[in-house]
Amino acid sequence: MKPLAGLRIADFTVHAAGPFCTHMLSQMGAEVIKVETALRPDIFRKPHAVYGRQGPATFDQVSSNKLSVRLNLKHPEGVALAKKLVGVADVAAESFRAGVMARLGLGYDILRDVKRDIVMVSVSSSGQTGPESHFAGYAPLFGAWGGLGYLSGHADGPPVEMRHVMDHSVGMHAALATLAALNRRRRTGEGCHVDIAAREVASSLVGDFLTAASAGVSVGRMGNDDMARAPHGLFPTADADRWLSISVSSDAEWKVLAGIIGQPQLADDPRFATQAERHANRRALDAPIGAWSARQGGEAAAERLQAEGIAAHLSWAASDIVADPHMRARGAILDIAETDGKIRAAIGHPARFAGDDAPGITRGTPALGGDEDYVYGELLGLSRAQIGALVEDEAIY
Amino acid sequence: MTDKPLSGLRVIERATGVAAAQAGRLMCQMGAEVIMAEPSGGSPLREAPPLLPGGQSALFTYLSLGKRSVVCDPVGPDFQKDLHKLLAEADIFIDDTPVADRTGLALDEATIAREHPHIVHLSVLPFGAFGPKAGWKGDEINLIHAGGEGFLLPNGLTADLFPDRPPLKIAGHFAEMQGGTTAAMAALAALWAGQGQFVDASVQDANVAVGAFAIQRFGDGSVEHRLTRSFKFGGVIECADGYVELLTLETRQWLGLIELLGADDWAQDPELADEVGRSARGAEINQRIRDWARHRKVEDLVAQAQTLGVPMARYNAPEQVLTGLQETARGIFATIDTPDGPVQVQSLPFRFGPDALPVRGTLASLGADQSILSCQPGRRATA
Repeated sequence: MKPLAGLRIADFTVHAAGPFCTHMLSQMGAEVIKVETALRPDIFRKPHAVYGRQGPATFDQVSSNKLSVRLNLKHPEGVALAKKLVGVADVAAESFRAGVMARLGLGYDILRDVKRDIVMVSVSSSGQTGPESHFAGYAPLFGAWGGLGYLSGHADGPPVEMRHVMDHSVGMHAALATLAALNRRRRTGEGCHVDIAAREVASSLVGDFLTAASAGVSVGRMGNDDMARAPHGLFPTADADRWLSISVSSDAEWKVLAGIIGQPQLADDPRFATQAERHANRRALDAPIGAWSARQGGEAAAERLQAEGIAAHLSWAASDIVADPHMRARGAILDIAETDGKIRAAIGHPARFAGDDAPGITRGTPALGGDEDYVYGELLGLSRAQIGALVEDEAIY
Repeated sequence: MTDKPLSGLRVIERATGVAAAQAGRLMCQMGAEVIMAEPSGGSPLREAPPLLPGGQSALFTYLSLGKRSVVCDPVGPDFQKDLHKLLAEADIFIDDTPVADRTGLALDEATIAREHPHIVHLSVLPFGAFGPKAGWKGDEINLIHAGGEGFLLPNGLTADLFPDRPPLKIAGHFAEMQGGTTAAMAALAALWAGQGQFVDASVQDANVAVGAFAIQRFGDGSVEHRLTRSFKFGGVIECADGYVELLTLETRQWLGLIELLGADDWAQDPELADEVGRSARGAEINQRIRDWARHRKVEDLVAQAQTLGVPMARYNAPEQVLTGLQETARGIFATIDTPDGPVQVQSLPFRFGPDALPVRGTLASLGADQSILSCQPGRRATA
C-alpha cells in the first residue's frame, strides 16, 4: 500500500507550484480532488504560448492521478459545496494570491469551522503576511527576490533567471510541510494553516551564502566554479553541445585524472599539488582537461571517470533522461497512457519505498469535471437530481 | 502553534553531503531531535565553504544548527554497538554512506530492517541505492546536469551575452538541496504510513521530478534547449543601480506594462494583441524596455510595476535579502551566536501559523553530546 493511502486532499491550487505539491502527495498515494471551473480553467490545462510559440498544455504530469470536479467559487452554492468537500478532506490546498480564499469565503477560520482539524496549505509568492504579500510573481521573480538569481551567473555577467524547477521546488517544500503538519495533527489532534512563501524557498536554497554575508563575507556570482573543488566544471566532448561535468574533490582523485587525460606530470606540478593550489590556479586546468575531453565520447568518458572514482556526468537533455536504463530501473521514469490513448514518458515517483514500489502514476490527465459522480455522488452523498440542479444553476460549472 | 510539528521525533543522521544534511536540517528545524553520528574527524561538511571570518563553515552552520553531535566512528571498535544503540531509540535514520560500503558496516537495507524494523531508514545518495548507477559519485555540478536542468541554463540575457559558453549551474547546492528536501518529504510519508521501512531517495530523481516540464514537453514532442527556452521579452533587465526581473504572462499584465512604459502605440497595435504576436516582436519590445529601464532606479521601477499589477522583482543581493522589508516583517532571519560571533540564519521557508518557526539551538562541537551514548535505553520509537 502506498504510504499516503487513505489521505484525501481538496485541491484548489493552480499553475505550477501548488499543483506540484499535491502531485507529489498524489504520487505517494493520497487521493487528490482537483477543483476546477470552466469559467477560468487552469492556464496550463489548455494549449498556451510557450516561449513565443503556441504549445500543448503542460498540465499532464502534475494532474495525472488527480480527480477533477467543476466548482464555481463565485457562486454561493459553489462555495457551500467547496466547504462540503473540505469537510471530508484531510488537507485543503490553494495557491491563489494571499487573501483570495478569505474573500471567497474559504479562509482558514471558516474551513476550520467546517472541519476542526483541517490542514490548510497556502502556497504564494511572498507569504500570507507582510507588506508585499500581495505581490504577483512567477518562478524567475521568486529567484530574484530570494537572492538565488543574483548569486547565479558568470562572474562577469548578469544574474540568471530561475525557471520552473523553482516553482516545483516550492511545491516540494509545500508537500514536506503538509506532511509535517499532518504528523502533528496525528499527535495533537490539531490542524493548522501552513504558509509557504516561494521567495523564502529561493533564499533558503542559498541559506549558507546569506549566513556568510551576514558576517560580512563577500559572496557573488562564480559561474560553474566550486568554492573549494578543482578541477570543477563543464568540459567539451567530441560531440557538439555535449558537455561533460567533472568534479575533483581530493588530491588522490586529481592524480588519477591527470593520468587519464595523459598529463601525469601535472599531478607533480606545484601549481596543482594541493586542493588550495589547484583552486587558486584553476583556470590553468581548463585547457589540458578540455583538450582531452574534446576527443572523447561523452558517455564513455563519464563511465571511465566514474570507474576510476571521479564524479562525472554528461549534461543531459530530457531525451537522455527518458531513455536511461537507470532511471527506468528505479521507476523514476515510466511510460503512461494518457486518456486519449497516447503513450508518453512521465516521472514515476519522487523516491522508492520498500513498502510499496508500484508506479506513482496510475492514470493520466482527468477530463475537466470527470470525477463528479464519485466526488459529489459517492463522497458527498448528493443525489443525481441535486447534482443536476447545481449544474443547471452553474454552481457546478 | 506552541509545539513544532516534529516534536518528539528522534533522527540519527550520518551525512557527508549536503543532501542528507539538508534532510536532517529540515527535520531539526521542524522540531525533531537530530543527532549527527560523526566519524572521529567530524563530518567533512564542518570544513566546507563558504567560511565565516573565523574559519567556521557557514554551510555547516546553516545545515546543522540545533543538531546534536556524537562521535560514532565507522573504523572505531564501538561503532556497531553505539550506532545500534542510537538506532534502537530513533524514528528515522538518514544515511548517505556509499552503497559499496554499507554491507561491511552493517548499514545495508536488510540489516537495518532486521535489527530495527521500527525505523524509517532514509538512504540519500546522488543516484539512489538501487539501479545500474547506484554506485556513481555525484557532486552538485554533476547532479544538476544528471537531472536535466543544467543543460537548460542559462536562458535570456546571460545566454544572449555568452552564447558560446557551456551551460551554467544554479548558485550553491540547488540540486543537492532538492535531493534533501525530497528525501525528507519521502521519510515523513513513510512515517505517516506507520511502519518502519527503507526509503531510497536519489538526488538525480528529485531533480528530474522538479524538472517535470522538460519530461512533459519531451512527451509532447519537443526537446528543450537553453537557447530556445527563453521568454521572448522581459527577463533580466538592467537598471541604473541593479537588475530587475520582469515577466508578463497574462494580457492584463501586458496592459499594465504598456501603462508603465507609456507605450500607447503598443496598445493600438493589433499584432501585439496576443502572446504569440508579442513574442514574434519580442526583440523589438525588449529593446525598448531595456532603453527605458537603463536610466531608472530599481526601487522606483518595482514599486510602480507592482502597483500596476506588472510582475517585477529586484535581483536582491544577499544583504538586500537579509534586510528586505518583507523578510523583516515576516521575521525569517534570526541572530545566532556562534564561536565566530553573531550570524543571521534563515528559518524554514514555510510556517504552521502566523509566525516563522523560531531558529534555535547551538552549533554542536564534534562529540558535544557524547553522553547520549551512555544513557540508559528508555525510549522506543513510535514509527
